[in-house]
Amino acid sequence: MSLHITDYNRQMARQRGFSLIEVLIALLVLAIVITTTMAMFVERQKRMQAASETILAYQAIANEIELRRRIPYGSLEGSGTNFLSPTEILGPLTPYAATVAVGPPENYVRPVTITVRWRGGQRVERITITRVDTGGGSLW
Amino acid sequence: MVKRERGFSMMEIVVVLAIFGIFIWIIVVLTADMRTWEKKMPVNFMTHPEVSAVVSRLRRDVQDACCGYYPASENEWVQGPSTLIVETLLENNTLEYAVWDFSKAGEVTRIAFVGNPGKERSRWTAHGTPTFKILSFDVEKGPVAVRVQAIDQKGKLAIDQIFQPRPH
Repeated sequence: MSLHITDYNRQMARQRGFSLIEVLIALLVLAIVITTTMAMFVERQKRMQAASETILAYQAIANEIELRRRIPYGSLEGSGTNFLSPTEILGPLTPYAATVAVGPPENYVRPVTITVRWRGGQRVERITITRVDTGGGSLW
Repeated sequence: MVKRERGFSMMEIVVVLAIFGIFIWIIVVLTADMRTWEKKMPVNFMTHPEVSAVVSRLRRDVQDACCGYYPASENEWVQGPSTLIVETLLENNTLEYAVWDFSKAGEVTRIAFVGNPGKERSRWTAHGTPTFKILSFDVEKGPVAVRVQAIDQKGKLAIDQIFQPRPH
């Protein structure tokens, strides 16, 4: 009888493979590594996406600035709150809101704020330019 | 003696497939937003240094434009959707004619001429660029503006910039 048990123990000791605990620990470590990597990847993609959207918004804002700089100072008030420049570049940000706000005059200076909002207002980019009344007529 | 059978049981295979399935489902869910966005957005050319160099230099040339602004032709180049010719004033009060050639795919060349007939003064080429298109954009009370567009391989508008000459 004792010979049979010793034989059995020897057999068990010589068995190849991993125990359940070892496998579980390895799986746990692997799961942590994969989860961390995936989270980093997703975050990177989100930030790249945000940067690309910002570049599109700033292109539209830059175009609007070019036109708003040409409007005579006296006509700024009635120049409207919608973009005068084309906004096709903002297509991927649909739905978006592109607006222009002309501030009140202060010592011959008026701020003109050009704003683009998208993602339900969660993302906003704006630039304010300063128009000065130099007293002249047409720039050209 | 225990009979050692090779292979896996049905339950083991089902469990492994279920774990793999869950893993793939997690990846698909996490990347769903990314894939939708990739379909919608154009290629981001402006992060390419050569492209942003072209746009910056072109902006400077158009903003410095004066006198005739956009001559109809210069040497063998003719003003058109793939060629922009701009007349600018140099610091020494001489006129320079900048020819922007967008006709070759993946390349943008700027050739500067001075004098009449035009003598080539400098040449600069940017590589790895998208195909640009030049349009005119009418502006009230001022010289015509230049509208520069670039479309990516998916046909999406990636660059759309308007530049105007500055008053001198």
